[in-house]
Amino acid sequence: MSGERRAVLVWSERPEIAGTLVEGAHALAAATGVEVTRLDLGTDGAAGDVDVVYRTAAVPPGATEQLVATICAAAEAAASGLLLIGATKLGLEVAPRVAERLEAGYAAWAVGFEVDAAGSVTARCRTYAGSALSTVVFRPGPVVATVAKGETLGAAAGPIRPAANRVVDLPAVEAAPSVTVLRSQPKPGGASVDDARVIVDVGQGVREKGDLAMIQELAAVLGAGVACSRPVAADRDWFPEWLGLSGAKVKPDLCLTVGVSGAVQHVVGIRGSRVIAAVDNDTGAAIFTQADVGVVADLYEFVPALIDRLRVRRITAASR
Amino acid sequence: MKILALCKYSLDLAEVKVDPSTHALLTQAAPRRIGGIDRNVVEAAVQVRGAAGGTAEALCVGPDAARDAFKDILAIGLDEATLVQDPYDGTAEAGVIVRILEAAIRARGPFDLIVCGFASDDGYTHQVGPRLAERFGLPLVSYVRRVALDGALLEADRDMDDRLETVSVRLPAIVSIAEEAFPARRTSLLDALNARKRPVNVWTTQEHLGLTRDALDAEARIVSTTEQGVYVQRDHQVVTGGSPTELADAFIDALVAKAVLAEVAA
Repeated sequence: MSGERRAVLVWSERPEIAGTLVEGAHALAAATGVEVTRLDLGTDGAAGDVDVVYRTAAVPPGATEQLVATICAAAEAAASGLLLIGATKLGLEVAPRVAERLEAGYAAWAVGFEVDAAGSVTARCRTYAGSALSTVVFRPGPVVATVAKGETLGAAAGPIRPAANRVVDLPAVEAAPSVTVLRSQPKPGGASVDDARVIVDVGQGVREKGDLAMIQELAAVLGAGVACSRPVAADRDWFPEWLGLSGAKVKPDLCLTVGVSGAVQHVVGIRGSRVIAAVDNDTGAAIFTQADVGVVADLYEFVPALIDRLRVRRITAASR
Repeated sequence: MKILALCKYSLDLAEVKVDPSTHALLTQAAPRRIGGIDRNVVEAAVQVRGAAGGTAEALCVGPDAARDAFKDILAIGLDEATLVQDPYDGTAEAGVIVRILEAAIRARGPFDLIVCGFASDDGYTHQVGPRLAERFGLPLVSYVRRVALDGALLEADRDMDDRLETVSVRLPAIVSIAEEAFPARRTSLLDALNARKRPVNVWTTQEHLGLTRDALDAEARIVSTTEQGVYVQRDHQVVTGGSPTELADAFIDALVAKAVLAEVAA
């Protein structure tokens, strides 16, 4: 971020992601002295202490143009050289649009940043759907980046200055919405698996929602949490959240995948597991290249046998 | 109704390996094809044409080899396809490719409906739809699972993180389809034969779009990109043979040996 553009501006509609981004901005501030600012649309009050809060009216659902214009207005007000936006579906939609309007560089799926003496931003990003980490060096000028839930952007050293939280009220931006939301139906909520020691990870090989009873039974025997791959959550609505590039990233001692094919977008979410064990009926499934222990078996025969043998042998998750 | 399907000639990521010693990303050996998401984009475009009439064509910025892959998407039912030869041979950032797409869309259009994937199979950075919406000032409906047309109004179901929305938008508009939405039909030999009669245009940025290399270079914001494959050492121990009970026992033994499972303390 060059010359006069010395601020990091954070926005996400998800407070927990905004909080992570604010921590990352403080880490960058510790290294470079940049100002840490965030945009508050009335939804991210818990995002943490910053130097300046740019506050303006909430943007109604579906008003993407207004949201893009609001973020751009805040970026201008903050003279932001680096905009950090949560990589939710909404964030991934607005961030490239903001980059177009600001004629800024864009870094998707970023996991870290550096700023050199000349003010150029270097971003480290997950590319090829998480198969690789890329180091992307930008020309001097503003950069917009999206950061997914579960990424940590450097050590959370906390604010380097006393948190001023100076509030700057921005005028509301008018922009006619081009999309009319006729109906909106929330997806069901559920328990988080972030802290589970063992996770049973359900893939598309599990055919019917009723079959989850068998998976829950296995999880109960192992004292495990149950999670899933993106299609199982997003297409079938069996779970509110998923593991993967766009979802949660977990680090259990054991991740036991059941009927997961092992698409790289999903593997990104479980790669931090100490041990990955996989059950799938397809010998060629990519998950076996990512697993420590694999069983090629029909999960409908194997899982009941596994539950039975775990019970008979009195085996469960090892204590730490 | 004039419909455009945007297609990327993508790397098959399932075949991209990482060198365990150097962590180099071995992309050269991986096959390229019209991405799975983009085949579904073609299906969506052909379905809309089926309901509303008109034409459905594809646009791809890619290498000459992509022309071969057009057979497959033309067989799904497109009327025409245009390949703009990529002057960067796959190395340009999305913002630059969008400039090429924009010029080609202006040359082929105007379109009533532009369909693209929510992301490409390989890059997966979700940029093309949003950027084109900005470039054209068109409404964008992202992550779409269903569309229905009523004159110049398009109704769509879109799949956001925490909710499902039904939205309405006036055409012309851009629609990005969700993962696994509009699964592409299986095509027959007859479809493939018919596809051979459909026109394929091969354009260059300079000659057909008037875009010089310098003008495109000026749009770049990235100086350099270096990639390193992500490689996590795994044991790849495969438990085989026997009855489900024997497999289960062997599986449990392997996980006990790795100290992630243990006997319940008395």
